[in-house]
Amino acid sequence: MDINELKRHSDLSFDRAVAKKNLLSRAESELITVYQDHIFRADPVTIATARTLMEHKDSFFLLDANSNPVYIKDPKQFLSQLLEKQQAALNTYHQAYQSLKSLKE
Amino acid sequence: MQQGVLIYCFDTPEVSYHKVANVSMSLVREYLDLPITVITNHATLSSWQHRPEANFVIIENATNNTKLGLPWHNLERCEAFDNSPYDRTIVIDVDYLCFSDKLKSLCNSRHDFLIHDQAHDVSQRQVLTYERMAMLPLVWATVLIFSKTERVRRIFGAVKLVKQNYHHYCNLYRINYKNFRNDYAFAIALNQINGYHGYDVIPDSIATLPHDCQVLSRDHHGLNYRYLNNVNRITCQDVHVLNKEFANV
Repeated sequence: MDINELKRHSDLSFDRAVAKKNLLSRAESELITVYQDHIFRADPVTIATARTLMEHKDSFFLLDANSNPVYIKDPKQFLSQLLEKQQAALNTYHQAYQSLKSLKE
Repeated sequence: MQQGVLIYCFDTPEVSYHKVANVSMSLVREYLDLPITVITNHATLSSWQHRPEANFVIIENATNNTKLGLPWHNLERCEAFDNSPYDRTIVIDVDYLCFSDKLKSLCNSRHDFLIHDQAHDVSQRQVLTYERMAMLPLVWATVLIFSKTERVRRIFGAVKLVKQNYHHYCNLYRINYKNFRNDYAFAIALNQINGYHGYDVIPDSIATLPHDCQVLSRDHHGLNYRYLNNVNRITCQDVHVLNKEFANV
């Protein structure tokens, strides 16, 4: 590998890394959802917490994205909304990521 | 409860902000589908051909602020509470382009005042990250979402007070940037109104395209941009575009 080839390869890797960071930031933005007038992130922690609490209680309290307490009256509906939002965001990310990976060397 | 979008738009000798507003307003209509009120002045309105459908309010704006030596007409944002005809208002910078319905969704939350406390540079060169001397957490007044409550009236009242005594507050909070900047004024007002503690924010980061990024093309889903020798695309994500030339693309 000569220095020009190394530079070209490095530049391409940099471009990919930048594009990936931007896609991830878009996905994180898409995780935001409003439920019962509160803002939540449909991230793994929120989903896992909701799922765990749901197994033990018919309704429960949770913190929103700004650490305000929220009484979740319908956990099933809440979890369903979280999952839908999270999977939509990750599906979009996945599709864009596949295009990114297929960029020619 | 009526929701709507408020945009401040004043042409300067260097930038035809009304052309920038045409772009952002068409995206607001497409993605947010909310009524729009534009606060502008006579000079801007008279040069505004093919005005989009909106409620135009004429004011005499203050013109005594600058940024990098050029006129910067940003002194009216603190009047948004009084200027807005809506119960629930989304204020956006004229160069904030909506490529998603995120703001509309946030508008349906219970928070009476929301603002971003994070922004990032989409070219990932961290040009928005600067040495932080200021003694308080900063915010980005690019997007505000508010209801007409007494608490919010007090927030805007505090912003006006900060604006009137800006240099004093800059000294107090060790802010080195001496030209008036809404980001600092809102940060100071929110810090004081909330008893020097935290407050509710929009929990994501504003994607920002820096000045030296050139927008090559745009459509209804996003835009293509160039920085140095790199070409990239942003889609389905709101973006704050600092290089105003995008209006001519």
